[in-house]
Amino acid sequence: MATEARILPLARPAPRGILRSLLLTLPILIWSPLMLLFSPGSSTKPVWLISSAITALFMTALFFMMMRTHSTYRWRRIFFVSMGILFPIGFIHNLYVMRGSMGIPIEEMIAGRTPFCFMPIPLLILPAAFTRTLVFPGSIAGGIAAMVGIWLALTLVMGKGWCSYACFFGGIEEGVAAIPTRARMRKLDPRWRYLPWAVLLAMVLLSLALFEPAYCMWLCPFKAVSEYVAARNTIGLVQNVIFVLLFAGLVIVLPFLTKKRTQCAWFCPFGAFQSIFNKISIFEVKIDLSRCKPCLLCQNACPNLSLSKESVARGETLMSCMKCGACVDVCPRQAIVWHIKGTQIAWKPERARLMFLYAAWAMAIMFGGTIIAQGLAAILHVFV
Amino acid sequence: MAVFASCGEALVLGMASGPACIAACGPVLVPSLLAERAGWRPHVRYLSAFLAARLLGYMLFAVVAWELGTLASMLPAPRLLMMGAVYVLLACVLLWYAVSTRRSCAPSCTDSKLVQIGESRRRGLAGAAALGLLTGLNLCPPFVVAGIRAAQLGSMAAALLFFAAFFLGTSLWFVPFISLGCIARNQAVLTVARMAIALIALYYLSMGIAMLLGKKSYGY
Repeated sequence: MATEARILPLARPAPRGILRSLLLTLPILIWSPLMLLFSPGSSTKPVWLISSAITALFMTALFFMMMRTHSTYRWRRIFFVSMGILFPIGFIHNLYVMRGSMGIPIEEMIAGRTPFCFMPIPLLILPAAFTRTLVFPGSIAGGIAAMVGIWLALTLVMGKGWCSYACFFGGIEEGVAAIPTRARMRKLDPRWRYLPWAVLLAMVLLSLALFEPAYCMWLCPFKAVSEYVAARNTIGLVQNVIFVLLFAGLVIVLPFLTKKRTQCAWFCPFGAFQSIFNKISIFEVKIDLSRCKPCLLCQNACPNLSLSKESVARGETLMSCMKCGACVDVCPRQAIVWHIKGTQIAWKPERARLMFLYAAWAMAIMFGGTIIAQGLAAILHVFV
Repeated sequence: MAVFASCGEALVLGMASGPACIAACGPVLVPSLLAERAGWRPHVRYLSAFLAARLLGYMLFAVVAWELGTLASMLPAPRLLMMGAVYVLLACVLLWYAVSTRRSCAPSCTDSKLVQIGESRRRGLAGAAALGLLTGLNLCPPFVVAGIRAAQLGSMAAALLFFAAFFLGTSLWFVPFISLGCIARNQAVLTVARMAIALIALYYLSMGIAMLLGKKSYGY
């Protein structure tokens, strides 16, 4: 096995043949329409059918390109940014159709008519352990149990891959980070990497003390583009100002200046929580030290600041790695590889990549595909 | 006999209210304990100072509650003001805790001085005592219940005894916090603790200011 690892070429492999790439894409070609046309949220309306067909083709085409070019990050980014842009469009359109406003009043929350989001999952644990009560104001039957179940199953396999293939919030900042040609802020204090853990700790404890999902009430930047607390007094207004400021700072300004996903890297408590599952997940990104010539291109390319000099020297990413593939793609010596735990490093890395990508892309279609289709349907609804 | 019954009632009330007390004190206690050195001894020392000061807070409140007798201290307006003041003070102590730390620490630093208040043990315990006193004065729901009951008692001594027994009952729930001493300390844990303390301080500060201005805590 070691010999096999050593004979991996140093140069990037030539593109795969079209037929072979198509064959590798076949499972996704079947999965995409099945998932989009027969998922619980689907309908038989022409608008939905058109948007689903477009999405299925889009997702399949991107996977085909991943197979053909051996590159992961740039094709994943097209999907991820599309999801980030189309999520607010579909979601806000839905809110206006259902409620006529983006603001959710307390009566609606008490009645459990709140769409469930994965963000408060870690905040529910302590209150549930102490009181057997979910502090999220939604009905268990109405989606929480299903959402938590699906999330848990996928997370055990993918680890923090969730943040690169399923999170419908991260795409906006990844899109903004892609706009400038170079970073204007280069010196980033590595200690900020610890902030998501601090936010997680503080929010978990405050959620227990206040008996409400404190992050959703006070700090979620994405409330600015989804469903905010209907402001009926000064405090409500303050909450919404915080949401907008955090969104502007962490999702627009800082990603533009740093070319990084700053909200994910420096703030998101769910991301920190998700990092724990990287320890369980069988897939990981490793550095083959026998091939690595520490140029640190990978460190610069990582959008989540998940590589440091020390971690590169150890031959691994930090715990916060989102498995986006940016470092793997950028490495000129192919020293960074997809890896399955329990196998030798650089043992058939392309096979590990394929196995990871099938799981990740199936998840991406399940969450992101549906979101993209909903966003497209909302746009088509206006024009058709 | 009545004294024993009253003490028993307070003890049971304290034990029953334990989870609520942990929920109320957790945001202050957990990160500040994580900012301490690893090992059960520093944690026992810290927790002892915290709880002793909390008992002092309880006793002070018992005196006030009994002296005012008619539960004047429990009326919504002064209660809001008192909680606002306590929250602002708590936020100040927490911010002091988070900010007044030694920054000159090598990257490989594993010393708890990174987040300790100053250098000496005494100052560390002063921080714990200040936090304990302020959380002791924090009018959490079980504490209000105990205050109302204490105010109905016949003498100040009985009220003090009632609060002491209530304190004992709630304190049992704090013993597991010593286990946080088992978590190994490194720069990551200490920095996270320090940042969490700052975040929680900002929360208490904003809530405290809102309460002092007479605003509701929640924006519904």
